[in-house]
Amino acid sequence: MSLTTPSVRFFRITLLRSAIGLPKRTAGVLAALGLHKRLRTVYHPVTQDVAGQIFAVKELVDVQEVDQKLSDGQMRELRRPGPGFWVEKRVGQQAQEEVERT
Amino acid sequence: MLTRNLKRALLDSQWPVPPTFLLPWAASLTTVSHTTEASNIPPPLINAAQHVPTTDRSSMSQATVGSPSAAAPATSPPPKPFKVSPPALSPTVRDLLPVLAAQGPHFITAHLYDRPYLLTQGDTLRLPFHMKGVEPGDILRLNCASNLGSRDYTLKPSAPPPKLRSPTTRTVNTVDPTISSSGTLGTTSMSMPEAGTEISPTSQSSTPTIMAPHFIPHIAKGKVAYLDERLYVCRAVVMGVESEPLRVKEKTKRRNRKVKRVKSKQRHTVLRIKEVRVRGVEEIEGGFEE
Repeated sequence: MSLTTPSVRFFRITLLRSAIGLPKRTAGVLAALGLHKRLRTVYHPVTQDVAGQIFAVKELVDVQEVDQKLSDGQMRELRRPGPGFWVEKRVGQQAQEEVERT
Repeated sequence: MLTRNLKRALLDSQWPVPPTFLLPWAASLTTVSHTTEASNIPPPLINAAQHVPTTDRSSMSQATVGSPSAAAPATSPPPKPFKVSPPALSPTVRDLLPVLAAQGPHFITAHLYDRPYLLTQGDTLRLPFHMKGVEPGDILRLNCASNLGSRDYTLKPSAPPPKLRSPTTRTVNTVDPTISSSGTLGTTSMSMPEAGTEISPTSQSSTPTIMAPHFIPHIAKGKVAYLDERLYVCRAVVMGVESEPLRVKEKTKRRNRKVKRVKSKQRHTVLRIKEVRVRGVEEIEGGFEE
């Protein structure tokens, strides 16, 4: 009997609580993870080292195992909002159609 | 626009959409490899609509089949009319949508670049930005709306509010037994996609579309759920571009005589809302030409 599960290889770590007022060690762990601001998200491979770092700041972060890693540029593109509109009719187009008809 | 509707039709037929659609994915990456869940997505989940009648106001939550937002402005060749595939309407919406349509005038909370604007027919809207690529006289279709209502009724999307924390539970779908290719019996288990993994068609620009592989809390922050754009029509015409009065910002430090002056004169596009209309149930279900 073979059990095939999808291989999750990355931790997606988001800082939800600030480390202001906490000991320097905690802030140091966050800096080592790359979390310098609230609501920043970083991706780290699933290893014992990273797991230990997360455990040190587990009350401050939101963690999930995911299959793939997104770069900052990719996350920026995901954050980009859609326009919310599309151009149905253009004035120049209408004039062009009229010219073509005549 | 042909591309956008084609994508929408494909998505409706092949891929279901989870109840929450938080994230309008806009950009592109063709080399993004999807998780194994992509091929095992369950059939579309249509939430039971909840109708809560109150004394003055009744709001109906509508089960949207997750039509995602965002369509980029069309390219210069005029789009040919394309038949749009109809959405699935819940019974409550089917009953109350005609009532909403009959009670004019209507308001709409349209979102342009995720910013909400409360609009009705005849409104003049000065946007806080300069809209590129449009000229005075161009007609825009606004297709991201979070609310659509009249005096006593409001149509809202049924998606729950976005959360900053990722879901703690994970559903694993186990198929036992599975006959593998070699003929032996085995077990296959696949985890279900999390809420918020939206597969959406996005801009119709030349760049291909990105699909968010998983829920990302900090991107979900500030996002709202949108109505199915096939339920309404909202048109606006570009009136022109206005400029603000010249602003001069003086920048200097204490005990320093040098004063740097920076001038700003921002431009704003002005739109006029021509039409805010709720489509009829027959029109929605029968399909209409775009």
